[in-house]
Amino acid sequence: MSETLARSGLRVRTPAVYGWAAAALVLVALPFYLDRFWLQAGLFAMAAALGALGINLLTGATGQLSMGHAFFLAVGAYGYCLFAGDGTDGLAGLGLPGWLAAVLAVALAGLAGGVFSPIAGRLRGAYLGIATLALIFIGQHVLFNAHDLTGGYNGRAVPPLSLFGLTFDDTELLVAQVPFGAVEKLWYLGLALLLGGFLFARGVLRGRPGRAMNAIRDHRIAAGVMGIPVARYRAAVFVLSSMYAGLAGVLLALVFQRTVPEYFGMALSLEYLAMIVIGGLGSVAGAVAGGVFVSLLPQLLTRYSDALPLVSAPGTGGIAPGEASRYLYGAAVVAVVLFLPGGLARLAVRKPKSPTTQSPTPTITEPSGETR
Amino acid sequence: MSTFAEFLINGVSLGSIYALIALGFVVIFRATEVVNFAHASLLLAGGYVTAVLHDEIGFWPALLAGIAGAAVVGAAVEFFVMRRHRGADHSVLAIVTIGVDILLATELTRRIGTDILALGDPWGDAVLTVGPVTIAQTRIAALLVAGLLITAFLLAFRYTSWGVAMRAAAENQETAALMGIRLGRVSLGAWAVAGALAAVAALFLTVFPTPGLERATSLAALKAFPAAILGGLDSTTGALVGGLLVGITESLATGYQSDLAFLGRGIGDLAPYLVMVAVLLIRPAGLFGTKELARV
Amino acid sequence: MTHRRQAVRGLAAALAALVALTAAGCSSKAKTGDGKQTGAGGVQTGEGVTDKTITLGALTDMTGVYATLGKSVTQAQQLYVKQVNAAGGICGRQLALTVRDHGYDPQKALAAYTELEPKVVGYTQFIGSPFVAAVKPQVDTKDKGLVLPQAWSASLLGSPYIRVLGATYDVETINAVDFLLKEKGLKSGDKLGHVYFEGDYGENALKGSKYAAEKAGVTVVEQKIKPTDNDMSAQVSALKQAGVKAVVISAGPRQAASLVGVAAATGLKVPVVGNNSAFAPQLLGTQAGPALEKMYWFASPSLPIGADTPTAKKLVADYQAAYPGDSLDNGIVAGWTAAGVFGEALKKACADKDLTREGVDKALLSLKAHDAGFGMTHDLGDPKAPSSRESVIIQPDKSVPGGMRTVRQPFVAEAAKSYTP
Repeated sequence: MSETLARSGLRVRTPAVYGWAAAALVLVALPFYLDRFWLQAGLFAMAAALGALGINLLTGATGQLSMGHAFFLAVGAYGYCLFAGDGTDGLAGLGLPGWLAAVLAVALAGLAGGVFSPIAGRLRGAYLGIATLALIFIGQHVLFNAHDLTGGYNGRAVPPLSLFGLTFDDTELLVAQVPFGAVEKLWYLGLALLLGGFLFARGVLRGRPGRAMNAIRDHRIAAGVMGIPVARYRAAVFVLSSMYAGLAGVLLALVFQRTVPEYFGMALSLEYLAMIVIGGLGSVAGAVAGGVFVSLLPQLLTRYSDALPLVSAPGTGGIAPGEASRYLYGAAVVAVVLFLPGGLARLAVRKPKSPTTQSPTPTITEPSGETR
Repeated sequence: MSTFAEFLINGVSLGSIYALIALGFVVIFRATEVVNFAHASLLLAGGYVTAVLHDEIGFWPALLAGIAGAAVVGAAVEFFVMRRHRGADHSVLAIVTIGVDILLATELTRRIGTDILALGDPWGDAVLTVGPVTIAQTRIAALLVAGLLITAFLLAFRYTSWGVAMRAAAENQETAALMGIRLGRVSLGAWAVAGALAAVAALFLTVFPTPGLERATSLAALKAFPAAILGGLDSTTGALVGGLLVGITESLATGYQSDLAFLGRGIGDLAPYLVMVAVLLIRPAGLFGTKELARV
Repeated sequence: MTHRRQAVRGLAAALAALVALTAAGCSSKAKTGDGKQTGAGGVQTGEGVTDKTITLGALTDMTGVYATLGKSVTQAQQLYVKQVNAAGGICGRQLALTVRDHGYDPQKALAAYTELEPKVVGYTQFIGSPFVAAVKPQVDTKDKGLVLPQAWSASLLGSPYIRVLGATYDVETINAVDFLLKEKGLKSGDKLGHVYFEGDYGENALKGSKYAAEKAGVTVVEQKIKPTDNDMSAQVSALKQAGVKAVVISAGPRQAASLVGVAAATGLKVPVVGNNSAFAPQLLGTQAGPALEKMYWFASPSLPIGADTPTAKKLVADYQAAYPGDSLDNGIVAGWTAAGVFGEALKKACADKDLTREGVDKALLSLKAHDAGFGMTHDLGDPKAPSSRESVIIQPDKSVPGGMRTVRQPFVAEAAKSYTP
């Protein structure tokens, strides 16, 4: 990153750097001002963005359709509970420290992806999409039935994470007179994870693996001929994407403070696909934008349902806010592919006036890939 | 033994409904290589039209209207959405159908609301008893209709010019176009046919023994996904076999769930997917799917 | 690299300024007092209560799987609020009901709870027991606002703030089995089929049926189903094979209709009893209608909407005037009862001059014999027990408003009295 900045010259870069700094400042300052609802909504959006980064690597960059993303989110969320739980609630728990549990949960999600790799490596496109549907159903069955592990229908409580002596729970911590509860503290954790996930995904896509993945997506046979081990790559990307989902699952669990099996159903997987299409397939920034859009939209509509035209408060007839948001994002998926191939990310690229400003959309033709 | 026979017949008749839905997938996939995730909504649309109209115009006209309605919705999806991005990546097109599905399903569930709509079919809750085995007449009708339709399609694929055009389009779109086949018409036709088949399936999914059409009916269409895949997405025979396999597996796994209790109860819904995964491990293109040969 | 360092320095400065700002009280979040005030009429007030209004929250599902229930409950509660306001409100204040539809989506449910939490004194409705379980730690330790879930699972008992109104599923099922034993000829040594949903509702009910069956020397044949299953043919075949003499169903209305329809058609002519969630009046218009009237009963924690009490008659008339064309079901009774209990607690809290959440919680605990007008009294004094163990047995009947006729007045089975969840 720093080489890129240094290389591209001071004069052009400065405004962009200040822009980023201002955005970062706002994000850092938000917990001091926003109330719990908004911070929670923001955290949901961050988790969604993390998950979207993962499926974007798989579906967007490698062209492998997955409908099983929700399963890996569940593995992450429940995995964390399993490793961190101390067994006092009568459910299986290993009582590991929170940070270790989080790392192991992500690894577990990756492992689950690996177990599925005999299928993930051999199938492609729609076949894989439907095959991964099986994961959702298997996942739901296990979540509801393996009671000792998952708590069954009502899920299980999520032990709070503690990191460097700081516990991410609702014990109040006064920072500059502002009481910091779980969401305020988690906000910073979420930001850090999202930033890390973002940079890593960008690194992957800009380097050799990214080119190989795009080659597989664009022409599988040609990619094979050029010496790319197609099946191995597909399986590896599947594992990586599962790990992203696992991380998103851990973050979600921490925000929810309880894992609920109902949540990890097919609708969630479809939402993730909608996110990356709306954001822009194959674009790292687009995945984040799409994740934020899809997860914030229903919450905004619900909250402001009284003030919006056409949308009516529940119980008064007309279109309920929940329905309105489904219309909107269904239409967004169709419209984006129709009128804005490349999604929100493309929109962002068009705007800046300076032509030398680097595009946030990494594509394989971009010279910035050489910075690695 | 008689219970086993009952489970089996139930499974076969359920499977034949799944086969109808799966056949719709296959028709669209063959013509356009797109997996249609909006199929569940087409089904709901067909059922809804039938349910709304049957009181006024009688069952048979309403059923025809439902079939026509679903065909029109299917064709409209093709014409207004899919046609606009022909040539885009097939995974992207599949995701577009998810968007279409969200739109259609939201609209239909909003209209259906909290009602349970009867379809006014002539069979009612009549059953046929042969020796110790009882089976609902609707299920026998489903079996006959599905068998008839699927046979008709197998023949149509082979002998009509439409079938030939569709097979040619599936084989190689460019060559087909060069030979004078109008790809637009082929894919429009495929979507309309898939819609019509879904409407027929909707009828049999919502009559006795199920209480009627309601918002969750479309979920049943999900079971046709594993059916289509394990048969092979591009094979009509596959759709039939896949549908039957899924129906029988589901029926048996549900019926004998007490003997399968170690897997967790309620395994019936899961069983078709487990069969699908097992089949895919051995044959990645499904039982009857064309193995893709890559010539370099 | 200078621009970078500049940016970092600028960021640090801005952060320092920000901290100074919040410290100076510019952030509305900065801590000030405990939020309690003394308002009009010398009444202590807290979250959700001003001098003019008392705001209540309703977290409902009107677009998801429980839409049927959510719609009725919400409309009944809106009606209650309207009527209370027309009569002058409570404590000189008007009631306001803020409704949020979560569509049975956990994320939206949690978001809606969090959004309303600072604005309301409590929740008259919260559909979805997993979501209630999710917010339980927060309610118990921090928020302490009253939550009246529209779910009757025993797993929700125990919190002084989350209160279940009426018999829980397990108790209700014990009562239902008692009905089979006493009036439908089920006897020791027989087999009893139980078709139940996976999840809280079904599994809680199964606990009840197993307990009751053991007491009576009956064996239970289990059939677990999913909410998406609509065709009960396989279950009926299996039950028939097992030779059951009666069936309990703890599922949704559709499953009950299918089960009874198939059983009647295939010759499994045994009585079927359901829980209160296993019937909707819409079913009487389906193919299974006649069979339901003949061989189906269900247990309910209150008299049905069409009951012959003054409260019920008035509610039916008012509801039909307010929502013409909407069907009458027991969700209305449940919603009305919950709103009534909350209103009663508010009135009591007002008399004690304490409309804070603590005041309302305390007032609720002192409601030992609240009569909601539907045949039974609720004792809200013990958070560990359901507010009532009584059930009524209802038979579907097209000729009665709401399609429901009471065949056994409120009762508690012997087994249910000794049962502890």
